[in-house]
Amino acid sequence: MGIDSGEPNSSEKEFYMTGIQNVDLRGFVTHSIASVFETMLSMNLTAEDPPQRENVTTGNHVVGTVGFAGAVMGNVNVFVSRDFAREMTAAMLGMSVDDIGSDEEVHDVIGEVCNMVGGNLKSKLCDAGLTCSLSIPSITFGNSFRVESKGWDRHELLGFRNSHNSALIEIYVKNAT
Amino acid sequence: MALKVLTVDDSKTIRMIVKKAFQSYSCEVYEAENGVEGLAAATKEKPGLIILDITMPVMNGIETLDRLKADADLKNIPVIMLTAESGKDNVVNIVKKGVKDYMVKPFKGEDLIERVRKIVPLEARGEEESSETKVARYFSQVDDVVVLTLPAKVTRPVTVEVESGLAAKIKDMGAAQLKKMVLDMSGVSETNVLLIKLIITIFQGCQKAGIAVKLVAGAKQAEELKGFQETSQVAVANSIEEAKASF
Repeated sequence: MGIDSGEPNSSEKEFYMTGIQNVDLRGFVTHSIASVFETMLSMNLTAEDPPQRENVTTGNHVVGTVGFAGAVMGNVNVFVSRDFAREMTAAMLGMSVDDIGSDEEVHDVIGEVCNMVGGNLKSKLCDAGLTCSLSIPSITFGNSFRVESKGWDRHELLGFRNSHNSALIEIYVKNAT
Repeated sequence: MALKVLTVDDSKTIRMIVKKAFQSYSCEVYEAENGVEGLAAATKEKPGLIILDITMPVMNGIETLDRLKADADLKNIPVIMLTAESGKDNVVNIVKKGVKDYMVKPFKGEDLIERVRKIVPLEARGEEESSETKVARYFSQVDDVVVLTLPAKVTRPVTVEVESGLAAKIKDMGAAQLKKMVLDMSGVSETNVLLIKLIITIFQGCQKAGIAVKLVAGAKQAEELKGFQETSQVAVANSIEEAKASF
């Protein structure tokens, strides 16, 4: 196992010094979500800029959320339509969409995707000295609801596209001190 | 002897992926949803390998690892941590606690197997169970009644096996002039859409062949079946004996 010294490198030191405002959150999360989709779902994502919120939140959709708290606090929300969530589930479990037994499987997959993206971001923050802990994922689903967080120091909305499906990732971050 | 592998993860998805990764090898994979269940399973099964998540409800992976290492009977079981948290402090911490290796999610099943091979030997699974043997385990006969017993989890592969076995069994029943079947779903743990579709397929297949079918289910399952339009009117017996008596 190759483990480095644990000392922050120069960019991480800068990260720590400048706090969360100058961190390339968008770049990091874009890389992270693309890696999750490619490795776990064999799906390629492309950036959708500007993000098309209505493509995802019109009709039935699923939102996975993980939070982190400590020296820095935040949320990562992953939004996908219910249809895309089912396609993602089939891809991750190696089955056809028709073979998905229940919404429980779909919610577990969205929660796990969210956990991976949130976990990677949390690790990046911890490596930069912003120690925090990750929550277990939660799922919200339905066809007429809005997820909002208030009072954050930084908010990012990123859009992604795979074939005919869109996904949104929303990140809220706040310094604890 | 098959290697016993215990996967401890609150995500059913990850447990399924781990299970799938080992399916080509001579392994028995046990599952647990959190650290408490994981410790209980480890004590009972004494696995040869534990694949442990970190972020879990009830008891997380770090505490689970501490308790494993503090238990004289369990401390030598190799542990691979499978985590979405790749932070340096996190990794240094778990390595100090004595894990054999760690994998960062996202991951591919084959990468996990590669890591496992460095820790424990894996043997390719021997000759696969024949499809006839697989199908035969669902069917039995009590007097002049054929009993089709569904397993705890009705998955797509199970429905394919049962449906293909049913066609052959109906043919055999015709030759033996057997006209009664009991479908026993009392051991099924989850009433899902696949199960409902399978029940309908079985009823339709038997009806077409002139075979009478009675359904056996528990009280809770009977209630759940009423919630599906397709099975809301199906009569349910509490036991095979009751079903046999109702023909």
